[in-house]
Amino acid sequence: MLTVVLQQGINGIVFGSLYVLVALGLTLIYGVLVQINFAHADVVTIGAFAAYFFTFAFGGNYLISIGIALMAGAALGWLVNAAIFAPLRERGNELLPLIATIGVSILLQNAMLLWFGPIPYAFDSPYSNKVIRLWGGTFITLQNLIIVVVSALTIALLYAFMKFTFMGKALRAVSQDRETAGLMGVNPNQLIMLTFVIASALAGMGGAMLGPILVLTPFAGTTVIVKAFAIVIIGGFGNVEGTIIAGLVVGLIESYTTQFVNPGLTDIVVFTLLLLMLALRPTGLIAEKREENV
Amino acid sequence: MIASGPATAAQARPTGAGAFFCGAGLHKRFGGVQAVRDISLTVPRGGVFAIIGPNGAGKSTLLNLMSGLYQPDAGRMIFDGVDLVGLPAHKRVRLGLGRTFQKIRLFKQLSVLGNVIAAFHIHHDIPAWQYVIHGAAFERDHARCRAEAIKLLDFVGLEARASVLAASLAYGEQRMLELARALATSPRLLMLDEPAAGLNAADVERLVERIRILRKRGMTIIVVEHNMDLVMKIADRVLVMDYGQYLFEGTPLEVQANSAVIAAYLGA
Amino acid sequence: MPTDRVRISRRGWFLVVAVIIALLPFVIQDSYWRTNLIVCAINIMLAIGLDLLVMKLGVPFWMAFVFGMVLSGAAGMALSIFAVRLRGHYLAIASLGFAVIVHQVLLNWISLTQGPLGIYAIKPPPDIALPGLPVISFGNTANMFYLVASFAFLFYLLLDQLVRSPIGETLKAIREDEISASAFGINCTAWKVFAFGIGSAVAGAAGAFYASFVGTLVPDAFIITESFTILAMVIVGGMGTLIGPVWGAILLTILPELLRGFGDLRLILYGAALTLVVLFMPGGIAQAAQMFRARLGRLATATDAGMRQ
Repeated sequence: MLTVVLQQGINGIVFGSLYVLVALGLTLIYGVLVQINFAHADVVTIGAFAAYFFTFAFGGNYLISIGIALMAGAALGWLVNAAIFAPLRERGNELLPLIATIGVSILLQNAMLLWFGPIPYAFDSPYSNKVIRLWGGTFITLQNLIIVVVSALTIALLYAFMKFTFMGKALRAVSQDRETAGLMGVNPNQLIMLTFVIASALAGMGGAMLGPILVLTPFAGTTVIVKAFAIVIIGGFGNVEGTIIAGLVVGLIESYTTQFVNPGLTDIVVFTLLLLMLALRPTGLIAEKREENV
Repeated sequence: MIASGPATAAQARPTGAGAFFCGAGLHKRFGGVQAVRDISLTVPRGGVFAIIGPNGAGKSTLLNLMSGLYQPDAGRMIFDGVDLVGLPAHKRVRLGLGRTFQKIRLFKQLSVLGNVIAAFHIHHDIPAWQYVIHGAAFERDHARCRAEAIKLLDFVGLEARASVLAASLAYGEQRMLELARALATSPRLLMLDEPAAGLNAADVERLVERIRILRKRGMTIIVVEHNMDLVMKIADRVLVMDYGQYLFEGTPLEVQANSAVIAAYLGA
Repeated sequence: MPTDRVRISRRGWFLVVAVIIALLPFVIQDSYWRTNLIVCAINIMLAIGLDLLVMKLGVPFWMAFVFGMVLSGAAGMALSIFAVRLRGHYLAIASLGFAVIVHQVLLNWISLTQGPLGIYAIKPPPDIALPGLPVISFGNTANMFYLVASFAFLFYLLLDQLVRSPIGETLKAIREDEISASAFGINCTAWKVFAFGIGSAVAGAAGAFYASFVGTLVPDAFIITESFTILAMVIVGGMGTLIGPVWGAILLTILPELLRGFGDLRLILYGAALTLVVLFMPGGIAQAAQMFRARLGRLATATDAGMRQ
């Protein structure tokens, strides 16, 4: 029994750390722009396909393919910002960029469907079959270990970036208090561009690591992004620490629900939690600082 | 119709005798800031009652408590015999409490006329089914609302701008439209939150004139103001607040002569 | 009075449209195109129902989809009591979450929905047998078209009247500024619940037609994709207007059929249309038509002036 609990805990943390990678991007963008990028899902998918084609079509190394996916994600993030968010920023409408990115998402998904077809790709990482035995009969595959280690390293790097570099500090300042950011003398366009590139690089990476453990289809990103939205809300929009905790919690809830309740009910449990939380705290777990000035 | 004798915080009790609006022991706190602390006020029927004080004195918060945008942490409020505490803003409008906003809050994507018509919300007289099948009663109501809205726009000098978008009005015009919309609810007690903020001298003059006309018609008006000159011109009675607290209450002349008020204004 | 003239000409328009709808099945004998017409009419209803929900109130779309497709009327009103507490992006995400939950519940509630297998052989509406007239059967696509089109037309008429009444101003006021609206005695929560109820009821009606016309209901991810296509119709047509979504529905139902030769580009086209319209013509077809009319007007006055010189 204890073994099962521990084993599911490990699996939960593996999925949770991937959710964190994807959700962090959403929360960074929200922190700086107060906007939701719906095409974030397709950055994940494209990252996964980029890694797949690098390893299988060109015989590349899987670990390097994570870097390729990172770059593909970053490029796509740059493009989405330049083509959608930058031109729409002056309009000042909360919903227009969201709708436009839904359009981009439909476009990308169906273009991928046309090129790659609906049949799932078998993205076998060379590390999926190597099992490392842990204490008390539990184990972790090398692939999952790579996921946890790379995610943790990336998150630590992001933290260091936000703590020690000027742009990073500016980014954090903007997320916490949008008004003072202007006073710091930061070029907002550059900052937003940087945010998109970082956020999408994280998502692309996440895709490369998700590919081998999920079913790789043109819609792979969507199933993850829906959970990432829940995580971002539960963690408090724009709150990096909250997102990390919420991501791991959702990963654990999923894996325990699958084991002890019913695999079909995982989404229902996660989203009921989300709705319950919104019913109790309509502006997220960690309330957003936006007081109405009348 | 000026209340007899200075009403201090201690004396003001919501007895309702002679008072139109009565507040007693009102408190409101936001996080660590006590925005309104133990404010009591008695507003007589008719006349202009001004609430003044330096920036951040809690004037607007007091107005928001009175109009129902915020609920007080403690205290009582009675308007014309009705207990207001707990009533939401939209219900207080039906009792006859109207207001404008310090930070202009027009419906920007509606026309000037549309803004006033939207403010007629509580005065429509249409049987429910005629909302989907327009009949005689609907047409009558429609014509009446338009005519009254145009009359109100005429009153504030915006009749020529009726069909433009509210967003395209000049700043002074936006303030006047705020006034017209508040009047559309046919308030018995009209609360103006810094109506002269950002207006030039000519606009202020016109505003003063409008307020005087409304006063003559018997409307009771509460003005939250920063601009001392304006208050001295129109107010019958003045409540002075500082740091969320009661500082002084009296006629404009008494206020001008009071050393505590002068000290507060000069920032001593 | 110019306003009276406008109103009469509007009634005239409705009459023209009604006649066109009545004649269409005679003009179009091809059953394939008749099928498309019915889909078109259903889409119009969905689109205007959604439009009322989403654009009039600034409420995001997922909540609307879900309410429209799965529940209707009363259920919509009951759930909106929860929704009105949320704002902006939180409402958008909550709606998405709600959509996921409903989808999963339908998928797992096998005794009700037969799970992923879906419900098949849903019957068309029962025949109407009036004394002295031939029996009207809705197995016939022409009759089904009349039924659906007349409901679409009726809903459009009623909603058109509704938004032209003071309720239109009330809803717009809530969309623009809730705090300000409450200062005019508008009970924002009650009116939002009302709008949810109406919008959901219309969409629910469309859903019912959809099921009986297509004959099957499968709780598929397809439902969410289809919701996006309806969103595209609203946006492409022009949000915040009633006629816009009608144009959007007609255009986006017919255009992909014309492009069928180019492979299955339907959803790619929708995605591109959605993005491009938001970027370059946020008011959609309705706005484009308005600008076109304004330009014609200017042209006319310009030639007038030229002739007078």
